[in-house]
Formats: sequence, C-alpha cells, structure tokens
Amino acid sequence: MSTPLLDRPSALPREALPPLVDLVVALADNKHALGLRYGEWCSSGPTIEAGVAATAMAQDELGHARVLYGLLEELPGAPHRSEHEWAAEDARTVGLLEQPLSSWPHLIVANVMLDQALAQVLDAALESRYLPLRQRTRKLIEEERFHAIHGRGWLLQLAAEGPEVRAELEGIIGQAWAETLCWFGPDAGGALAPLVALGVLREAGEPVRQRFLGTFAPLLHGAGLAAPVRAEGGRWVLAEPLPWSRWDEARRRVRHA
Amino acid sequence: MKTIGSEPVYEVFARRVDGEPLRHVGCVAAPDDALARVYARSIYDEESWIEMVVVPRRAVIPVESVRTEAVDAHA
Repeated sequence: MSTPLLDRPSALPREALPPLVDLVVALADNKHALGLRYGEWCSSGPTIEAGVAATAMAQDELGHARVLYGLLEELPGAPHRSEHEWAAEDARTVGLLEQPLSSWPHLIVANVMLDQALAQVLDAALESRYLPLRQRTRKLIEEERFHAIHGRGWLLQLAAEGPEVRAELEGIIGQAWAETLCWFGPDAGGALAPLVALGVLREAGEPVRQRFLGTFAPLLHGAGLAAPVRAEGGRWVLAEPLPWSRWDEARRRVRHA
Repeated sequence: MKTIGSEPVYEVFARRVDGEPLRHVGCVAAPDDALARVYARSIYDEESWIEMVVVPRRAVIPVESVRTEAVDAHA
C-alpha cells in the first residue's frame, strides 16, 4: 500500500511545520535575491545574448520565489513574505547575494554554485508527500536545467581565458564555498531530518551535498580550477571540514567568524 | 566559420503546434552549442514553442543561391 500524500497544510504533522517554513523562507529569499542580482546584469553582460540570458534567469528566479512565497502563505505560523514586501534586512540570503554581483565571474559562480545548490534541494522535493510542494517543484526544476547549462558553459569559457581569470574564479568560489556546501545541512540533515522522515523531502544533508559535488567537482576539474575537494572511495571528500559551529540552522547562513 | 563579431552564429527554428513545420525565427551568436541553446530559449521567448532547435550556420549546406561571380570566387 502506498504512503498517503499530505494534500493540504492541515495534513502536515505539527513537527514538520517549523523546519518546512524555515526551508521555504530560505529557498524563496535566496531565489528572490538571485533574481535581483541576475537582473542587475541585464544590460551589462559581456555580449547582448549573455545579458538577455541573465534577464531570463532573473525572471525565472523571481518567478520561483513568487511560487515559494505563495506556498508559505498556506503554512500556519509562517512569516508574511511576498515579492512586494520582501525585506532585505531580515532576508535569509547567503553572503554572496548580500551585495550586487560585482563582476561577470561573480555572476557565473553564483549561477554554478548557489543556483545549482538550491536546485538540488528542490530536486529532493520532486516526489514530496506534501502535495502543494510536489506540485510546484517540477516546473522550477525544469527551468533550472537551462540555468545549469548556462553556468557550465560560461564557467568553461571564462576558465579558458587564462590563469588570471582562473585565479579570480577560484577566489570567488573560495568565498562562496562554505556557505554553499553548508546549505544542504549537516550530515544527517540537521533541522531538515524530520522532513525526510515524513517524506516531505527525499533526502537532506550529506546525500544532497554529495549529489551537488558529483556535478560541481568534475566541472571544476574540467575547467582547470582548483577546489578543496577530492574523489576518494566513491565519494567526494572535502579538504577542510565545514564550519558547522558557525552554522545558523534556521536562517541557513554561516555566521561571520 | 561564419560569425557575428567573434562568435559562431546559430540559426534558430521553432514550432508552436504539432504538425506545423519548423520555421526560422532568428539567430544567436554563441561560443558553443550549449550556450546557443540557452540564448535561443532566452531571446526567442515570445511564443510558447513546443519545439525549438538551433543549428550552427556552418552546418548549413547551400543548395541554391543568387550570388555574384565575385562572391562565388571568394567562397
């Protein structure tokens, strides 16, 4: 007998609400910020086509945020958030998005790292038992497919320009590394573990991080970029441990040292 | 290799409904096939296409064209 779906907010067990609300707020806030940051490059891309693509990705991300804020409205106890009342001061956005992306390489790193990290977390909701989340996720994931192609293509193009650009890319990747990889949560999922137990997410924590690294690490290698990760025994092993002591679980941020 | 600026040109074809022929909707300049796909999707979004393809202009095989002898000699 198949596991029954949770077809409305009132069907969610009480213990699922706080982590689900926190996750949806963080997903939506980061997608909203990503949309704004992509959009700031609509007329400044290295080519006209690149600027239009950044605009298209901006529209996609702002649309995704709108969908996720809509999901939030249905959840009891959720903070009021919308694209119109989104407040930058309490946004649960990662450090990379707090300021405008200062260069095209910054945009591409945000594209290949954060954008794809959020997509991996959403992918874990594709077969969610919580029907409102499941129904919204598929279209979001489909649009992210083109974001991945864009980021991959541009990272390879930029890296091919020479050692100075590769050093710049490595620096930006280094700045975003810890916060992006912590976003999936601690090994067993941390605050997201109850959502996995309930079937709201397929997985969280280390399995999702490994899935992300399974795509990102080979991309870095193919681009000739150094990264603090290596393949070992069928897994991706980080050169340095992640700063879990500074990890803010609810806001999904790494606090400054 | 035919280019606009320094990047290869890709012709973009699309159709709105089943049974309709693929029609030329424009072109994009991109360094490779992958980015050509992204740019075509981004730029030619005025319709809800059911299918869109990109073809590198260099892959186009001329059949007939009205060209001067000087152009033919150059080619």
